[in-house]
Amino acid sequence: MKPHYATAWTDLVSGFAQWDVWTRLGWQEVRRRYRRTVLGPFWATLSIGMFIGGMTFIWAPLFKTDVSSYLPFLASGLVAWAFVTTIIAEGTGIYIGGAGIITQLNFPYSILNFVAVWRNIIVFFHNVIIVVVVVLVLKVRVSWETLLVIPGLIIVGLNGVWLTLLLGMVGTRFRDIPPLIGNLIQIMMFVTPVFWLPSQLGSGHYVITFNYMYHLIEVMRAPMLGMAPSKLNYAVTIVGTLLGFLVTFEFYARFRRRIPYWL
Amino acid sequence: MPPVSVNNVTIDFPIYGSASRSLRHTLFGRTGGLVRHEGARQQRVVVRALDRVSFELEHGDRLGLIGHNGAGKSTLLKVLAGVYWPDSGSVRIEGKISPMFTSAPGLDLEDSGIENIKTCGMFLGMKPDEVDRKAADIAEFSELGEYLDLPVRTYSAGMLTRLCFAIATSIDPDILLLDEGFGTGDARFAARAADRMQALIQRTRILVLASHSDTMIKNMCNKAALMEKGQIVALGPIDDILARYHRGDVDVPAPAATLQPTA
Repeated sequence: MKPHYATAWTDLVSGFAQWDVWTRLGWQEVRRRYRRTVLGPFWATLSIGMFIGGMTFIWAPLFKTDVSSYLPFLASGLVAWAFVTTIIAEGTGIYIGGAGIITQLNFPYSILNFVAVWRNIIVFFHNVIIVVVVVLVLKVRVSWETLLVIPGLIIVGLNGVWLTLLLGMVGTRFRDIPPLIGNLIQIMMFVTPVFWLPSQLGSGHYVITFNYMYHLIEVMRAPMLGMAPSKLNYAVTIVGTLLGFLVTFEFYARFRRRIPYWL
Repeated sequence: MPPVSVNNVTIDFPIYGSASRSLRHTLFGRTGGLVRHEGARQQRVVVRALDRVSFELEHGDRLGLIGHNGAGKSTLLKVLAGVYWPDSGSVRIEGKISPMFTSAPGLDLEDSGIENIKTCGMFLGMKPDEVDRKAADIAEFSELGEYLDLPVRTYSAGMLTRLCFAIATSIDPDILLLDEGFGTGDARFAARAADRMQALIQRTRILVLASHSDTMIKNMCNKAALMEKGQIVALGPIDDILARYHRGDVDVPAPAATLQPTA
């Protein structure tokens, strides 16, 4: 496949420029979840909340950590984890889901990716309420570093854009990929320090250092716990964003025009 | 240069069966010399939907596409719409293209009529303020009244058709692509729809219509193309082309579906 860089570039740039369209569609999808239910998207929040509540009383004694330090760690970690992995999981089916429009119109497909990321940002602000409650009840340190959650969200959101573009293409062409990614996410949940503290394995352990998911989680989790993420966390995620976009752009330039044929 | 110029366009649709689309076959199919030995398994069906199609359209042209089912009419419309990029040959179009194929793009059954007007309008390339400006006209023409505030899933088939028609005909295109599958609801509405369609065509500079209906072609077009097995076998005055179509005088040498080695 010959790459068509101009087409790919125009798609991404004009897709992003139509922010009025994708923010609206993102909200619209959240609003749909509220329909005919009382809690709407808060059901996801509630289920994370119940999970955290249950786990805390088992895992805190198991790890011999006290609840007041374990609970905030688990809550913020799980909320960040849900944000990252929902984007990835939805990304694999993003063009399959958009088949109705893609086979009817020529438009910047990247709008679909921006919609997905934007919608998950909105859902994140539902889920983050759990962290806020935990922080208030347990009087976790709140500092200026807490504000770093915003850059963290932006970094992870940008990663979400390239991940959904790349996985969206692969998942459309090879229909084994979406369930495969779903499985990998489940395994990653235990390999990544979400339930257990990085210090328990020993900081700098390769399972942590070379785990991209860990760094993505950490740029969001650390600020929620009132701390600044490490320089390494930022270095890895920012370089990862750039490399990710570079690789994705090459793929998108080659295969964007094949997407409708794969549907 | 004419505003629409299609030059030697060929479209092949690879048909991915359950076997050939999976990653397994691509991975293991490419290893070693197995490809040649397992020739039968490495072949995939490719449907040639368009075969070396060339034509040009000037402002004021209203082209009717005639041909049997599967002759390539809809595929040609979708190539003009920019949905499918041709494998070989080129398509050059100047002006804003508006496709009217099956239903309104982006339609969601859970959303209300009003919400769908906005979503579909945006997908059809309207800016938010343009959608707001036209929403009243769309609502009025659809005659759905209070139903516009209800979810679209509560509509009858005819009501849904009216909504889609009202949205789709609110656009201001340079080039209008129309597939006959586009319905118009009950008889009384059909009469109003015909007027509105005429008005739309009046403000359109170029029309391409795919239809089986002689009357539709005669009413709306000023030239016609006869398609068979992905080729344009004749292009000219409507009466000649229709006569030839009804005589069954379509002679095409090339087969439509061929088995080709995996690319």
